[in-house]
Amino acid sequence: MSGDVILDIKDLRVHFDTLYGPIEALHDIDLQVMRGEIRGVVGESGCGKSVTSLTAIGLATCKVDDGQILYDGYDTVYRIKDWEKNLIRISTAISYIGALIIVFNILRIIFDTSAVYDIIAGAGIMLFGSLVGLIGSFSSYKHEKELRRIRGNEISMIFQEPMTALNPLYTVEKQISEVMKEHGRLVEREAPTPSRILRAVLKPATQLADSITKNPLATLTPIGVLIMYFTVTSLGYSGLFEKLSWYFIPVIVSAFTTSAIYEKEKVNWLISLTKSIPYLIISILYFIYSSIYKYTLGLLNVNNPLKSIEEGVEEINNISLEGLSSLPLAFAFALTLFMMFWMPASAVMVILVTIAVFMIPGIMISDVLKLDPSHSRQVVQILEEVQIPNPETVSRMYPHELSGGMRQRVMIAMMMSCEPNLLIADEPTTALDVTIQAQILKLMRDMRDQKGTSIMLITHDLGVIAEMCDTVSVMYAGTIVESGSLKDVLERPRMPYSIGLLHSIPRIITEAEGGRKESLPIIPGQVPDPNEHFDGCRFHPRCPFADEICVSTKPEMIEVNPSHFAACHHVDKTTNVSQVEDAFENLVARMTEGI
Amino acid sequence: MDGVKKWFPIKTGMLSSSKSFVRAVDGVNLSVKKGETLGIVGESGCGKTTLGRVLLGLIPITEGSIKYNGVDIRDMKNRDVRKKMQIVFQDPGGSMNPRMSVRSIVGEPLIVNGMSDGAELTKIVAELLDSVGLNRKHMTRFPHEFSGGQKQRIAVARALALNPEFILLDEPTSALDVSVQAQVLNLLEEIQTEKDLTFVFITHSLNVVHHISDRVAVMYLGKIVELADTVDLFESPSHPYTHALLSAIPEISVEDKKERIVLSGDVPSPANPPSGCRFHTRCPIAKEGVCDTDKPEFRELSEGHFVSCHFPVEAGKSLSIFDE
Repeated sequence: MSGDVILDIKDLRVHFDTLYGPIEALHDIDLQVMRGEIRGVVGESGCGKSVTSLTAIGLATCKVDDGQILYDGYDTVYRIKDWEKNLIRISTAISYIGALIIVFNILRIIFDTSAVYDIIAGAGIMLFGSLVGLIGSFSSYKHEKELRRIRGNEISMIFQEPMTALNPLYTVEKQISEVMKEHGRLVEREAPTPSRILRAVLKPATQLADSITKNPLATLTPIGVLIMYFTVTSLGYSGLFEKLSWYFIPVIVSAFTTSAIYEKEKVNWLISLTKSIPYLIISILYFIYSSIYKYTLGLLNVNNPLKSIEEGVEEINNISLEGLSSLPLAFAFALTLFMMFWMPASAVMVILVTIAVFMIPGIMISDVLKLDPSHSRQVVQILEEVQIPNPETVSRMYPHELSGGMRQRVMIAMMMSCEPNLLIADEPTTALDVTIQAQILKLMRDMRDQKGTSIMLITHDLGVIAEMCDTVSVMYAGTIVESGSLKDVLERPRMPYSIGLLHSIPRIITEAEGGRKESLPIIPGQVPDPNEHFDGCRFHPRCPFADEICVSTKPEMIEVNPSHFAACHHVDKTTNVSQVEDAFENLVARMTEGI
Repeated sequence: MDGVKKWFPIKTGMLSSSKSFVRAVDGVNLSVKKGETLGIVGESGCGKTTLGRVLLGLIPITEGSIKYNGVDIRDMKNRDVRKKMQIVFQDPGGSMNPRMSVRSIVGEPLIVNGMSDGAELTKIVAELLDSVGLNRKHMTRFPHEFSGGQKQRIAVARALALNPEFILLDEPTSALDVSVQAQVLNLLEEIQTEKDLTFVFITHSLNVVHHISDRVAVMYLGKIVELADTVDLFESPSHPYTHALLSAIPEISVEDKKERIVLSGDVPSPANPPSGCRFHTRCPIAKEGVCDTDKPEFRELSEGHFVSCHFPVEAGKSLSIFDE
């Protein structure tokens, strides 16, 4: 709790450029986060809490006008120097000149072929220009690189909505390991690449073996049918018996392999036999069909008076060997396949096995190459740390399969994997239920206690602040209006806004403490538009103590107690909280009359 | 007071999707008295909103019945139901047509029901806007020109347009900031006393429920686990889930940091609820053989205090077993 400042924000002023002119989001923010403390930042929506945090890690899209953000003495805001700005301007000009030369000479080339050399010269000038530009942008590039190192490695952030912060296309494991890889936190690979490729290739084979042991009939039947098909077509057929036997072989093979595997269970043996019956029927049907077909053709030929019977029979044999071979066989094969798929139990397995055999290897190779076993163990270990039940399963899940609390925990795990010194939590529990919120808060507090991480907790929920923080800053419309220790701010608030905010929360007050009040004390009016310009205090239109000085002069942060600051001209009037409440009530009454 | 009680004995079950049943609301018995505010609290996904919609007949019931003044709402005409029962939704911006002016938004119910038109409508809308603390001049503006709190005020004005007797407030302040929330809550209370309304207040925020309700029903996975007077419930909760909920509220005080019961795990899926007591998977005092097999009855512990638990915690005692 004691000691040095880890994050120091000084006089920060930022604005957003919009179509309607700049909008000033932050006016003069002063904020310090000490090493190992939990600093709460509280305020209503639109007061600039999130902008502050995003600017601190250089992710905000706003322009910093003034001020410094020092992380451990390193300024995370990059301000471009004048000479660099000029250099970049000069380089752009040079490049433009080069480009113009090129364009002009392309037009000239029609009349004069020697213009080619001028084009080359133009390109050279362009190149020179961009080189000059590189010198100008070198230090900003260096700064960005340094920021990338700090972000995640030293400062981490948890966002409000975990679903949007996680990539829905990748597994939890992949996403966490990616963060670790980026920041060099992964341990050395256990298995070298060739062995992992081998493993990837072998994986489908082992899977096939698995499926054979699990559901032999469904797995072996298609294989059997395939063997049957190729043998029958390649050998041709000489006689009916041989022909039929080729149909029986796969059936018998699959039936007997099944029974051999399920030796112990006689019932299964029977089942697999009954399952072979359809193939038997098909074979018989095909036999009958082909015979009829053949003899019809034979009769047709016999009735032809131009040919003798011997010739006819010969022709029939020729037909049966060539013309007949493809069509009925294909028909029977299709029927067999249909029957096979039609049988509901094995249908799914057949499809799965087909996919496993033909399609999965490619997918597998890339999948296995992704993560080394030692890395996935590392990820599981981190998930364990954030108390996710059965981390092995969860690590292979996608974000949509997890509940809100689990997702937020994955986010915390991701951030913890780099063991940052400072954690910026932007409304980490707003999207969660109270019971889940309690779990997440406990996790964060444990992390602070065990690893000494400083936390900047941004929330609008004063309850969470009271639960977690050591020190609190209250924000209002882009300024910090009060800051101090938790006790000071929550029990002895001095800025009228903090007092009003604290008292407008419905509280659970027991009967013994006087029971609940009839109506809630409120702050009248609304948060001002960020575009509105104030010379004085930004709270004065809603403040019961506002007078001329509040309208004209901006209040300084006054140290009302040791390390307790409030930005108000009338801190002497706010010592008694109940008086302030009365003042608010009077103001509300006055304002409603005004309408 | 004419002594007539409005009550809604509800027994609904199995709001079904085509094949598997998502038991969003599963066997709820509840009655709302005239002029009171009944708060319904619970975690997200516990069926609060579904219960509310079922109450108003916005979703058909699978089983059971809802009676309003003794008449089943399925037997009433839809228009009559709407005239008496109104709803304020969670997201005020989402429940308004962005292309309609405030006058037509607030006046729409009156026009639809053929109750007024033209200049008279303008007058009524102006009065309604007055009653929710908005300016009459706002009548010609559009929803996007208002802040969240003002939008919610407009939604309340719209609900009031038909002079209903009953208003369902479905998380009316969840999307609002603390200071605005306080303003809206005060407004609701004023209106209630002024017009003698009955409120059903659905929320996940226990502080708000404590502030506004006379009675509170705690829901867990489609069932009401505890129902009691607000004071009774907050001072002597009986169901372990209520205990956990109450202890999970972050309290704004520095000194007495209470020991909290951190429940492990998430709310189970309502499509496949646990057997027996639905809370037993997360309950710190669940007993094997009882809680995971027998469904607890919804019984009256003391006057007006119902609980559905095998081992209700005695009044005044705190739950001593912590789930660490």
